[in-house]
Amino acid sequence: MAEPAQVSLKELEKKQEWWWIAERKRSKRLDYLRKAVWKKGALGGNYAPGIKVDLELPTLFTQAWDFWRFDPIMLRRAKTNSNVLDNITIFITDHAQIMGYMGSAPHTITWRLDGASMVNEELYNEPGIMPEPQEESLKKIAEFNAYWGGQTAIDKLARVLDPEDAVKFLSGAIGWGAPTSAYGYSGKNYEYFMTGKRGFEDIIAEIDASIEKAEDRTIGLPGPDILPLYDRIQNWIAMKTALQASIRWAKRFARLARIIAENFETDPKRKKELLRIAETCERVPAKPPRNLQESLQYDHFIQILARFEAHEGAWPSRPDYYHGPYYDKDVNVEKSITKEEALDLVGEFMIRAYEVGGFAPRWAREGLQGITGTWVWTLGGVKQDGSDACNDLTIAFLQAARLVRVANPTFAFRWHPKVKDEVMREIFECIRHGLGYPSMRNDPILINNAMHWHGHPLEEARTWVHQACMSPNPTTKHGFQPMRMASATANCAKIVEYALHNGYDYVVNMQMGPKTGDARKFTDFEQLFRAWVRQMEWIFSLLVRTVNLGRYKDPEFFGRPFLSGISERAVESGLDAVSYVGERGNCWITAFTYVENADALAAVKKLVFDDKKYTMDQLITALEANWDGYEEMRLDFVRNAPKWGNDDDYVDNIMIRCLEECARFSKEIKCPCGNNWPILPENVSGNIHYANIVGALPNGRRLGDALYDGGVSPGPGLDKNGPTAVLKSCGKIDHIGHGRAFLLNQRLSPSQLAGEKGYQLWRAYMKTWADLGNDHVQFNMVSDATLRAAQKDPEKFSEVIVRVAGYSAHFVDISRKTQDNIIQRTVQGI
Amino acid sequence: MKCVECNFEGPVPRFRYLYNARIDAPITLRQCPNCQTWLAVDELKAAVVQKVTPGEAPWGKSAGIEDLAEDAKANV
Amino acid sequence: MPKCEECRKFFSLEEDPKKGDCVQRVVDPRQAYYKAKPVTAEKDAAKCESFEKK
Repeated sequence: MAEPAQVSLKELEKKQEWWWIAERKRSKRLDYLRKAVWKKGALGGNYAPGIKVDLELPTLFTQAWDFWRFDPIMLRRAKTNSNVLDNITIFITDHAQIMGYMGSAPHTITWRLDGASMVNEELYNEPGIMPEPQEESLKKIAEFNAYWGGQTAIDKLARVLDPEDAVKFLSGAIGWGAPTSAYGYSGKNYEYFMTGKRGFEDIIAEIDASIEKAEDRTIGLPGPDILPLYDRIQNWIAMKTALQASIRWAKRFARLARIIAENFETDPKRKKELLRIAETCERVPAKPPRNLQESLQYDHFIQILARFEAHEGAWPSRPDYYHGPYYDKDVNVEKSITKEEALDLVGEFMIRAYEVGGFAPRWAREGLQGITGTWVWTLGGVKQDGSDACNDLTIAFLQAARLVRVANPTFAFRWHPKVKDEVMREIFECIRHGLGYPSMRNDPILINNAMHWHGHPLEEARTWVHQACMSPNPTTKHGFQPMRMASATANCAKIVEYALHNGYDYVVNMQMGPKTGDARKFTDFEQLFRAWVRQMEWIFSLLVRTVNLGRYKDPEFFGRPFLSGISERAVESGLDAVSYVGERGNCWITAFTYVENADALAAVKKLVFDDKKYTMDQLITALEANWDGYEEMRLDFVRNAPKWGNDDDYVDNIMIRCLEECARFSKEIKCPCGNNWPILPENVSGNIHYANIVGALPNGRRLGDALYDGGVSPGPGLDKNGPTAVLKSCGKIDHIGHGRAFLLNQRLSPSQLAGEKGYQLWRAYMKTWADLGNDHVQFNMVSDATLRAAQKDPEKFSEVIVRVAGYSAHFVDISRKTQDNIIQRTVQGI
Repeated sequence: MKCVECNFEGPVPRFRYLYNARIDAPITLRQCPNCQTWLAVDELKAAVVQKVTPGEAPWGKSAGIEDLAEDAKANV
Repeated sequence: MPKCEECRKFFSLEEDPKKGDCVQRVVDPRQAYYKAKPVTAEKDAAKCESFEKK
């Protein structure tokens, strides 16, 4: 769709068509690069036309994996990945200045074929993504699948899991994700490799010294203490191999850039750029960066290299903090580049992340509609000494976001009382422009939270980044978590469902939870609540058991030489970075579909036990009928029972009681490091994925209805007492002691928040939010009219972005059901 | 209940339940088992309110069935 | 039988002229780019559709 050229910027602003404004304001380079991106996020659940699975990488990988079959797993993976990095096709897009992609062409998605056979089988059956000629591709994929069957990370894990746990976990009813680092979410030890003190050559020197020291001992006095060193030496060699291959891969870009400059390029300006690219890729990651371009390139190389090793579902990073000093040096001190040139680099840095994508199974695509992973980049916050960490690059990122308008990465901003007004204004502009990000995080609360739950020391807690959508993770030697443990993600609406059905799941037709009694015979609320607590403990325990085992066995079943090579504790110890040894622990249970529990329990308490309007027998009968034939009763349960988010103590107290039970139990279940598993209510778009998995509930939902949009967000349209009431309800939660973090979605009116008055209203809202001790809030500020128009005319509104849950997506890329769910959210006037 | 597209008649649960227009209103989306047409249904009256099609009148809040939900909510 | 080293798109490595890259220009529906794939100088290019004699 062409830009409406005749319309003035002012007019476009009035119509809130920010994407046209962005197109006019951004540089020609950014415009080209933004439009050049092949969008890898699935539309609803399907890949966009033209997207093809890359078969070059799996071919190179499988050949080498087979060849090195006699090596220990970490070394085998390092050598295998080296074969990929040395031989995969690389490319340089016109106008680009930042290099690196995992596929052999821009339109390809990568396939992690050593992760899980069931994912491989799904890929074989996925229509539309096979490269031509399709028959040949399918034959090749079938061969790969036959080879990998039984030896993927999940296949290996499945063989050691308790059979009952495995069946229930794989039912898909209660958990989400896969307990292997093949599907990453690795935190990164930025304090080790991103502070400018070392590049990969320096790390290799550290590894060499460790190997030398260990080898001195292995030819020394015999004893049990030297026995582990034999394995560790192999691991160190693996790390070194991975880092050396990474340097060679980067230098391939340098070589290509020089070839283009010297043989093809006629434009002198572009020639100069290509030579600078060559210089940059010769420098990093081998040596520490010296300027902004090198620093961004170094970071991007590392992110891509980690994705050659594992399907990283998240992108934990803190770009303004780590690249800020280089921006300051280049733009402010040495003036070697202009602000506009820096903005080009920053914008492209975001675009390069936006284009990243790997094949994901359908459940993951439905749970993360429109994107390929939760790239939530952390901005702002404080330095380790507690002072404000915001800098000029913080502002540049916020400005670049409005120019490139990508849905991934998004930002989450660590707010604290010392944040300057100019930064807050930039944040507000991003929200006002309908990006849905940055989400706002309460830094003092979350730093305390990190200390409370996992015992991170203050200075380490202050380094935190978002490990996925929401969870803070320090970037330090003992603090960073190398595996996100995505499968400790609980479909929490099942807790109340099982409490009402004696642990039986009528959707998957299986006795899932413990038998906590026939709810028809419950005579008071406490019986129901006790059943709820037992079901909660059972679900959490099953998931955590599975994930703990996945983590414990991961170095044996998968192995991460590259991640280990950039992790101080692995480089120092010779252990796989995923080994729990030396980590403090930073686990959390992502609590999908949580608020339904509070609303459902409150409805039963009020209408059955307090008002005695219905019996438990009547309620269970209606639920088993999916409310069919009980519409009047269903509406009674929706309208005449208190709902979370209205500052109503009746239901809010139940919510808090549930959270207190979760918090108590979070300290009983332990991760392999011996640390706690606090809960973190949030949803991504799991509320849609689980719509057909969660049965009818007493809050009035039927099987099939979207669940609430998650975290501690009130049910769409059920928060009727205004935004302050929502904040007050959420403020009753102890955001330090009750769990790891609590997601809150809010929709605000773009017309109300126009201009300076709008900004001041928002600032006042944010003050209330902070005063009440809330840890998170994120905003959708796109009008119903725009969203409705986008549904009717998706072509014209293809660039409208919305906040789904812990991530943003282009509105037209999410399913109709998710779109409707967003429109149903209450627009709060503040 | 009778399908407005093909006149198929049957009890409401025979029509496949899809999802609600909003949780606090009696309007839902169901699918005719005979002709697969999507229907907006008033659950209180057990009656089809209108046929739902994509395009100019897409289902969902934007399509006007949200308005139906609002109306139905007000009338309860 | 043509070999990769005889092609205009072949660029040998300075340190090892028997190895090199096949560098090609690609224009897809969204973007234009140069790509490089490692090949050996001796590789048989008889079936290569992109072969261009130097």
